[in-house]
Amino acid sequence: MLPYNLYLFFVFVAICVPSLKCGDVVHLSASESADKLEAVPSLSTAAIVSKPAVDTVFSFSLLSSFPDDLEVSDYCSDLLHIFGQRYVAYVNCLVPAARPVKVCQSCYSTYGNLVEIYNNISSDQMGPGNVTCRDSLLRSDRLMLVYQLYSNLESLWEDSNCAKCVTEHLESLTNDTLYFMATLNQTLTCFEKYQQGNHTELCKNCKSAYGTLNVLYSQMEKNSTLCIDIEDAMNMTRRLWSKNFNCSFPREENVPVIAVSSFMLFLPIIFYLSSFLHSEQKKRKLIHPRRAKSNTSLMNIQDKLS
Amino acid sequence: MANITKKVSWSSRGDDSGLAGEGTPLLNGTEIPKPSRQDPIRGRPKEIPHNEKLLSLKYESLDYDNIENQLFLEEERRMSHMGFRCLEISRWVICGLIGILTGLIACFIDIMVEKLAGCKYQVIKENIEKFTEVGGLSISLILWAVLNCAFVLVGGIMVAYIEPIAAGSGIPQIKCYLNGVKIPRVVRLKTLLVKVLGVICSVAGGLAVGKEGPMIHSGAVVAAGVSQGRSTSLKRDFKMFEYFRRDTEKRDFVSAGAAAGVSAAFGAPVGGVLFSLEEGASFWNQMLTWRIFFASMISTFTLNFFLSIYHGKPGDLSNPGLINFGRFESDSVAYYYYELPLFMGMGAIGGLLGALFNSINYWLTIFRIRYVHRPCLQVMEALLVAAVTATVSFTMIYFSNDCQPLGPEHNEEYPLQLFCADGEYNSMATAFFNTPERSVRSLFHNQPGSYNPLTLGLFTLTYFFLACWTYGLAVSAGVFIPSLLIGAAWGRLCGILLASFTPTSPIWADPGKYALIGAAAQLGGIVRMTLSLTVIMVEATGNVTYGLPIMLVLMTAKIVGDYFQEGLYDIHIKLQSVPFLHWEAPATSHWLTAREVMSSPVTCFNRIEKVGTIVDVLSNTSTNHNGFPVVVQVLDSDEPAKLCGLILRSQLIVLLKHKVFVELARSRLSQRKLQLKDFRDAYPRFPPIQSIHVSQDERECMMDLTEFMNATPYTVPQDTSLPRVFKLFRALGLRHLVVVDDENRVIGLVTRKDLARYHLGKHGLEELQLAQT
Repeated sequence: MLPYNLYLFFVFVAICVPSLKCGDVVHLSASESADKLEAVPSLSTAAIVSKPAVDTVFSFSLLSSFPDDLEVSDYCSDLLHIFGQRYVAYVNCLVPAARPVKVCQSCYSTYGNLVEIYNNISSDQMGPGNVTCRDSLLRSDRLMLVYQLYSNLESLWEDSNCAKCVTEHLESLTNDTLYFMATLNQTLTCFEKYQQGNHTELCKNCKSAYGTLNVLYSQMEKNSTLCIDIEDAMNMTRRLWSKNFNCSFPREENVPVIAVSSFMLFLPIIFYLSSFLHSEQKKRKLIHPRRAKSNTSLMNIQDKLS
Repeated sequence: MANITKKVSWSSRGDDSGLAGEGTPLLNGTEIPKPSRQDPIRGRPKEIPHNEKLLSLKYESLDYDNIENQLFLEEERRMSHMGFRCLEISRWVICGLIGILTGLIACFIDIMVEKLAGCKYQVIKENIEKFTEVGGLSISLILWAVLNCAFVLVGGIMVAYIEPIAAGSGIPQIKCYLNGVKIPRVVRLKTLLVKVLGVICSVAGGLAVGKEGPMIHSGAVVAAGVSQGRSTSLKRDFKMFEYFRRDTEKRDFVSAGAAAGVSAAFGAPVGGVLFSLEEGASFWNQMLTWRIFFASMISTFTLNFFLSIYHGKPGDLSNPGLINFGRFESDSVAYYYYELPLFMGMGAIGGLLGALFNSINYWLTIFRIRYVHRPCLQVMEALLVAAVTATVSFTMIYFSNDCQPLGPEHNEEYPLQLFCADGEYNSMATAFFNTPERSVRSLFHNQPGSYNPLTLGLFTLTYFFLACWTYGLAVSAGVFIPSLLIGAAWGRLCGILLASFTPTSPIWADPGKYALIGAAAQLGGIVRMTLSLTVIMVEATGNVTYGLPIMLVLMTAKIVGDYFQEGLYDIHIKLQSVPFLHWEAPATSHWLTAREVMSSPVTCFNRIEKVGTIVDVLSNTSTNHNGFPVVVQVLDSDEPAKLCGLILRSQLIVLLKHKVFVELARSRLSQRKLQLKDFRDAYPRFPPIQSIHVSQDERECMMDLTEFMNATPYTVPQDTSLPRVFKLFRALGLRHLVVVDDENRVIGLVTRKDLARYHLGKHGLEELQLAQT
């Protein structure tokens, strides 16, 4: 029954859309089937969605002539324009800062601009001419492009933890971050200085600088004031230190460790041998239960008794 | 001709073989040893080394069967309808209390272990970090070993010197108790204390053990204690729940306690109920099931609630059990039909490894019983195991080259860097340098690629032997978690290998999923539980879709494992010489009749018996009988006595203590009549006969047993087959079964030990021997 109704509905749509006037007729005649369609919301939306696809040719000309009150106001389209510019500026800043990661240090101000304009768009305060752009720009269609674009970048900002390194109103980097960067620079200068020649030299001379950096980093980790820039910089420095310059601790105590552990492993053998040899074996005393004699003898007893 | 019947090979009583000629060849070609024991000129008792084919005299049956004597009938008549209602309500109250207390104990254990182990690992970690830089890591190794030993020393001393019954997981003991065997001291308060503190020590001491098995024992003790409304150890009587002071009620509550323990340990309330059902499957009823379920639910809820408070999130009920497998929810852990054969293959591996584990542990346990029986030796052994565990772990970590980058969310509780590059941690350390529960969870849930195949292989190998060596030590500790850990390690290894064999790494080869399957297989291979284990695993993972694979895996593991060796708990029950009645009588035993099974002749009492005779019989140490048929002499003294009732040792002792003698009753008419309450007050620790003083005059008095004996004991004719007798015992929970002839004359008595001694061995039906242990 239902598919048949749906089919009917499609047919009406196809017939009536070109001349829009018969809209009432559609509603009247489809009212029977509409009840059933409402019960299945997903189906009914599917039907509506497919409407433009049926006759794109006809609807094309209709789009350009919406009545005024449906059009976006000039004020809003201006806002949209500015949003676009700042968006582009931020993305342009982000891409070159991808590797090595400097997204927080270099782009916090452009991000601030973007946030500002978005807040303007999304605020419900009236602009000039008593218009608010929130509804018209952000949520008048299914795609919600402006919102999506912004929220993508916002989640990027959140993932990168940049807020931890930037002051509250996105004015500048925090002191902690600046201090870390300074310490990092010292270490890197040290690395550069000794990079030529023997790496053992480097390991020895830069150890204090690297150590300070490490301590600072773990302290910041504890306070959770890390953003992606710092994490990445630290990761790279650590990799340089451990992998490129090979300054990790060497495994050089094999002999004492092996000696101690073989001593420990030897103890149980002694223990079990000695308890096997010296401890007296536990014996169990067998008890002999009282049982009836076998069949024949039992008979004998009973014979005797009776 | 004379020697066609030989002793079967298990018997060490070779010197009897001269008598074997009298034997009658049996129907199925096997022979039972000749009942030649009434030979009057027998030498002194033989001594043999301990082995698994013995039955110990120290274990007795529970008196599950109700004693319907006149006192009982009178009390029932006096009790109002309301009284029965109150009893029913108080049963529910007790079950609720059991759940709450068990949950609290689980909570206490969890928090203590977390704190102590946390401190220990923190100290060692700092030490290792310090010495990695300046050298001297062997000192860290010694520190680790010493810390481990210190914890284990405390636990070991408590167990070995204070309460040896608290050793091990306690599951074998509880299994026996539910089966109807009274294990001495198993449900005492002292045992509970030693158990709880001992398990904290042994887990914090870094042994390859878990805290889940002991929870079941703890729950059982709680149940036995709460339901009695008093503590004999503390000498406190709260005058509550007096009606429940008998074995029947107590055993029912103990099964609720065991279920509550399982449910607190694994967050598996249904699994707990099924555990009790599986282990105590005879004598069971539906109301009891429902009550047990109530206790289980309350227990897991209590644990959950208090842990949520401890973790600072009151009301967040997401810690249902001590072990939390975490959630398997992402898409990659779904399974496909073509994986089922793989799972079953893993089940078979689990069965094989489990059988190997059990065999090694079997030999080790025999060695321990024979040679390491002195408490000081037992403590030393535990210390050595603790030290070696630390050493092996350290060496593995030290020589491991498997470095993994630190994750952003720090799954690793105590990441050790050692010789890894900065920002990386030693992957072997996540497996060894952690409490076993956390290791299991990280094996289940860490990202693919966080373990090397080599690391996992080495870990499986070492942990297998460590766990095998550890189980059976004189520390209280369970085997569930080590089994899960071994299985999870090799299961994850399987997952990784599968992914590497197939060219395009398929989405289904998720190592975490295979770790879970491996864990189930290994655990099933070792403990061989079926239904309850499946449900426990399903509940612990919180994912019902894994029901089918886990069931298949456990089935395969059990089938494969049973082919080689019994389950670990059954082995330990056997080695403790417990008269355990299995679900069925041995298969080829229908030709055995009650006449051959029973003990005979039987010590009987007359209905009106002389006190002296009773005292003499009771104090005879060589025959430690517990039930005595009461017979009545027909006036014509030629006729042999006929059965008219059954009386228990405990009843006789109470009667003697209260001096219920015919002569005294005449002289002191005002004397209070003995009530059922007097018997209950003496329960469960009836004084030994030696402590009761009977004067010479009193020995001449007479005692009338009519009122106190069970007037309608179960009897069977002498030609009843063994399986029929067995069924009576198993289904009714009998303790004594009188064998009578066609004129109702007592000719023998069947007890649990008479039945439990038959078992199906390699050479057909074999018989176990009774021994003093």
